Amino acid sequence: MTSRVQGAVALLMLAGVTGLLVTLRISNGATISTMYLMVVLVVAATSRLWIAVATSFAAMLSLNYFFLPPVGTLRIADLHNWVALVAFLAVSLVASNLSAVARTRTDEAVGRRDELARLFDLSRDVLMMTESREALAILARSVALRFDLSFVAVAVPRGNDWDVYDAGPHSIPLDRRQLTTAFAAAQATLEFDAHARTYAGHRTMTVDGHEVRLVPLRVGTKPIGVLAAAGRPVEAGTLDTLAGVVAIAIERAHFLEERKTAELTRQSEQLKTALLASIGHDLRTPLTAIRVAATNITSPDFNADDRLGQRDLILSEVERLTHLFENILEMARLDAGAVAAEARWVHPSEIVAAAREQVEYLLRPHKLNIAIERDVPVRLDPRLTATAIAHLLENAGQYSPPGSAIDVSVRLSTEGLVIEIRDHGPGIPSNDLPHIFERFYRGSSAQARPSGTGMGLWIVRGLLAVEHGRVWAENCADGGARFTAVVPAAAKATESEIADIQ
Amino acid sequence: MTQRARILLVDDEVAIQRTVGPLLRSRGYEVDLAATGTEALDMFTQRTPGLVVLDLGLPDLEGTEVCRRIRERSPVPIIVLSARGSEADKVNALDLGADDYVTKPFGPEELLARIRVALRRVGGEESVETGLFRAGALTIDYDRRRVVRDETEIRLTPKEFELLSLLARNHDRVLTHKTILKEVWGPNAVEQPEHLWTLVAQLRKKIEPDPATPKYLVSEPWVGYRFVTETP
Repeated sequence: MTSRVQGAVALLMLAGVTGLLVTLRISNGATISTMYLMVVLVVAATSRLWIAVATSFAAMLSLNYFFLPPVGTLRIADLHNWVALVAFLAVSLVASNLSAVARTRTDEAVGRRDELARLFDLSRDVLMMTESREALAILARSVALRFDLSFVAVAVPRGNDWDVYDAGPHSIPLDRRQLTTAFAAAQATLEFDAHARTYAGHRTMTVDGHEVRLVPLRVGTKPIGVLAAAGRPVEAGTLDTLAGVVAIAIERAHFLEERKTAELTRQSEQLKTALLASIGHDLRTPLTAIRVAATNITSPDFNADDRLGQRDLILSEVERLTHLFENILEMARLDAGAVAAEARWVHPSEIVAAAREQVEYLLRPHKLNIAIERDVPVRLDPRLTATAIAHLLENAGQYSPPGSAIDVSVRLSTEGLVIEIRDHGPGIPSNDLPHIFERFYRGSSAQARPSGTGMGLWIVRGLLAVEHGRVWAENCADGGARFTAVVPAAAKATESEIADIQ
Repeated sequence: MTQRARILLVDDEVAIQRTVGPLLRSRGYEVDLAATGTEALDMFTQRTPGLVVLDLGLPDLEGTEVCRRIRERSPVPIIVLSARGSEADKVNALDLGADDYVTKPFGPEELLARIRVALRRVGGEESVETGLFRAGALTIDYDRRRVVRDETEIRLTPKEFELLSLLARNHDRVLTHKTILKEVWGPNAVEQPEHLWTLVAQLRKKIEPDPATPKYLVSEPWVGYRFVTETP
């Protein structure tokens, strides 16, 4: 309600009471003054102090004019009535004042409760913040939202410059020198201003007609930045508390960041240990075998056939070492992000042939069935795709009994090129299934298999990821495991097919 | 040579079976192959080999467990194949009764020498509790508790003699720090290797021609000591 409406209502109430008293011909002084006092109290409880005071005077004048003899004039004949009139005025003024004070207190309490609620909401936002990279920008947005501010900026010094994260409907350019001055002042003093219930260091500056308040952000007593706010006036004490919450949030964001770094370091340490354990074993065995076989070859106790056998063994162990070495290299390249996809037009049959060639020696005991639905040119990186398929073929070969078939099927879908590799081995144990693409994970049954390093499937996933493709594994209902790789690729229809469409 | 000893080779790696197997056969040993711990234990019962070469990384049972179970049944020499860096496994296997170890990747001569020594030990020439023991220029008289090098008597303290005779009785075999500490100082001293280091240093000064490069009392880093009678 505006003060004008409040004034009109007060006047109406006065007129109503006067009319009522006149109509009912009430002449008892006590009744009349009590009625007027009631009007003044009602007005004081609902309106501003000055309206209540004005109402008090108006009530006094009405009392004088309509009821105190001589009635109809503002003169007063009787001295008693003078005393009564002055007492009436004094009582109504005191009552107005008391009521106004009580109202102000209530308003203050409501305001404080409101700000507490906002602070509470903000603290909750801060606690829910998990993403540490965007943390400060999110924080500024939360402050602007919770406190209905038109501009909020969290400024943190970095070297000689400032990182500023702002939010709110208005965008106000902050003067970096002003920030530096405010920050320097906050570093110099830490005094509590009992009157304003705030610590020293608050500043106000005017930018483009906006009044921007600068509050130092402190953790304990140490300033770590500056909070800038504009829009709704916020009490200095609240601003201080708000700055405290923001400062804690910044610290928390730092801790989250640090913890993430520590976690990454720990993971990479673990990885190194796993790598050494895995590779250590896989290197030693071929090296020992080669060393012993090399001696055997020259031994007079070996006949020609035995020597050939030892020579073949050396060759296959060297092959194994080469393979291991290539895997390690591929893994290191993927880790270093040094693998990039180079898309080319290529026939799916070429890719499969290239993959097959890479693992020829491993697939010798198996029968390979290759089905290519439409051998039309597709655009993808043939090297990455073929290497990934080669690893999948190797995997299929190692996990299925010699003599069993491996089915390779290639088709085009809306997603791209789909390659399925299916073996007729025992399948993947269900407890291993979610982990087989993890680095150095070797399934429970893999222990019986001599040459697994736990790198192959991880490399497959890494290579395909470079091409934005994906791979997954499942067990077929009638036995054996099926690996499906999907590589996004554009396809060219052949001329005859184009003719068909037309 | 009276080598016709039967050796059980336990390793799950085909490449090792197919190189080390023929190597041993070419040197006149009978060889049985086993790829898993269970198979090894079965084979051990059936064939009663004169020596076991055991890889510690087996697919089914822990190599140390196989070692323990064989030792429960027989005092047959066990030579453990292990990877460098897994010292704990090695020490564990030795404590469980293995006689020696070879670290992968090893050369054929290294393995053959260890096998020869282990077989000779059980051959029983000087494995008697009393009598004289000779190694190079060194003679140990267990009965009179005397040690002579090049005709000169060497005076040893009782502890020094105890250590020397322990190692000499188990010559060419690795004794772990733990085993030696337990034998010479008792079970409570197992965690105090400094006793051993000091005593070995003293003993080397007295018996070794050049204490800086020991010839008899050889350290096996992180594992223990070996009294060497033959240079492999």
